[in-house]
Amino acid sequence: METLPPSAPASKIARTNIFLAGLTLGFLALAALFTKNLWGHLPTKQTIPIVDKKFLETTPWRQTYADLVKAKEDLSDYDCYGCHEKKKPPTIRYDANQKIVVPKEHSDVVMGHGSHDRNNLCYNCHNEQNLATLQIRDGTEVKFDNIPPLCGSCHGPTYRDWEAGAHGRTSGFWDRSKGEITRLSCANCHNPHSPRIPTREPAPGPHSLRATTTVHESAESSH
Amino acid sequence: MPLPDSTTDKTSDAAMSRRSFLRGSAALGGLTALAASLSPLRELHDFTNTEQFLQKYYKELTPDEMTKVLKRIEGEVEKQYGVRPHVRDLRPMDGVEYVYCLNLTRCIGCRKCVHACVNENNQSRNPEIQYIRVLKMPHGSMDVEKGDHTYDAKQVPEKGFFYMPIQCQQCHNPPCVKVCPVNATWQEKDGITVIDYDWCIGCRYCEAACPYWARRFNWTKPEIPKERLNSNMAYLGNRPRKQGVMEKCHFCIQRTRAGRYPACLEVCPVGARKFGNILDPESEVSYILREKRVFIQLKEEMGTSPRFFYYFDK
Repeated sequence: METLPPSAPASKIARTNIFLAGLTLGFLALAALFTKNLWGHLPTKQTIPIVDKKFLETTPWRQTYADLVKAKEDLSDYDCYGCHEKKKPPTIRYDANQKIVVPKEHSDVVMGHGSHDRNNLCYNCHNEQNLATLQIRDGTEVKFDNIPPLCGSCHGPTYRDWEAGAHGRTSGFWDRSKGEITRLSCANCHNPHSPRIPTREPAPGPHSLRATTTVHESAESSH
Repeated sequence: MPLPDSTTDKTSDAAMSRRSFLRGSAALGGLTALAASLSPLRELHDFTNTEQFLQKYYKELTPDEMTKVLKRIEGEVEKQYGVRPHVRDLRPMDGVEYVYCLNLTRCIGCRKCVHACVNENNQSRNPEIQYIRVLKMPHGSMDVEKGDHTYDAKQVPEKGFFYMPIQCQQCHNPPCVKVCPVNATWQEKDGITVIDYDWCIGCRYCEAACPYWARRFNWTKPEIPKERLNSNMAYLGNRPRKQGVMEKCHFCIQRTRAGRYPACLEVCPVGARKFGNILDPESEVSYILREKRVFIQLKEEMGTSPRFFYYFDK
């Protein structure tokens, strides 16, 4: 090193070498960062819980008399003459506001049929002569396992739609040559005593990254 | 500035000359940059295999070749999910054109259709891909701009709102098909616009062209829980997709072309969804279009002429 001319002092060359060595190390470090992904962190995925199976359920939320018979379930609720006396129609009581007084034996019945709950005469649908059946107001007897004609006696347009398959769900095969179609009955969806469909819990909404507060992250990881 | 002439000669005795050092550094730097630029390739876990790479266009496949392709897909799915699926290539039926009708009076916004669809069609759960968006809309307006699909209510329906699910409208005049540069998406004769996931290049032109926001892109490798995988699959339908391809509602091809109703319809608790063959005058959809009050078509002014109709009871 002593032989070097004074124009290139040893300290200067050493500095250059150190600088270049540093540069090389820098590059190597960068390469390591890239390959090991130590630097550029991937957009972090949020955890999304798997949707509860109850939201995938296709069975209707109510069981009709026909369903109970099919499933061989307890039909004691329909054994009217276990308590009532035959050929003696039970009397219906009303309070001062013309609201029906539901006896405590039937406390599961919540009356709410018709606007302002005005369809509150049991014998509009139940048959007072034979409590094990139903009746249309013209006196036609209707069995518990086939109620659409009874409901349709008041709800004409809806009944017409139901018959055409436009009201209520139909499931199975749209192509009748390939398989059966299943049509639900009125009471599979509507409680006859208060037919309005109750409100329910909705299934979870989309975990939209846009909807979260970190808008910038979302722009990178989603559209 | 001229270099001192003796410098290079003298230092060549040392381990490395400055020039070769500089050259070495530059080469190393260049290689590093190259490695860095190739680094996204590391994320390609299931890079296309030769068989798939050499696969012909869907419409040019002979029946024998199609059988091989379906076998390949079955093998790939089994390898990945441990479930042997049944993948079919279902073709459109003669004399059938599908139409969907949705009753806005009945829909309660419970979003069951959204998740039944995800479950049926093997969509990614994380990040979420959903074909159906249920818009919560204020009464008295059909302006979708006022809709909100992220509603988070304890109970639905909420007072003062109605709900409007939107999915692929299966247009007669689909803008998404027109923009596809590789013909990876096309309209079949039964009205369903399909995508060949093996032909799609992921340019997302179709996503931009769709006025209904119906198309979804797989930004990452789809994540499907093994126990929720639907093994009844169709080539143009619900077979698992790869990263980097488009997907959308296809009216549940694997079900409807076998005569069944779509999954979103069968899960609807209020019977708001109706599906069928419009060419059959006895079908439910024919009855609805004939008898009910039908809100013609969503964004009618776009000239897309959807096969998805919204209607009312009252």
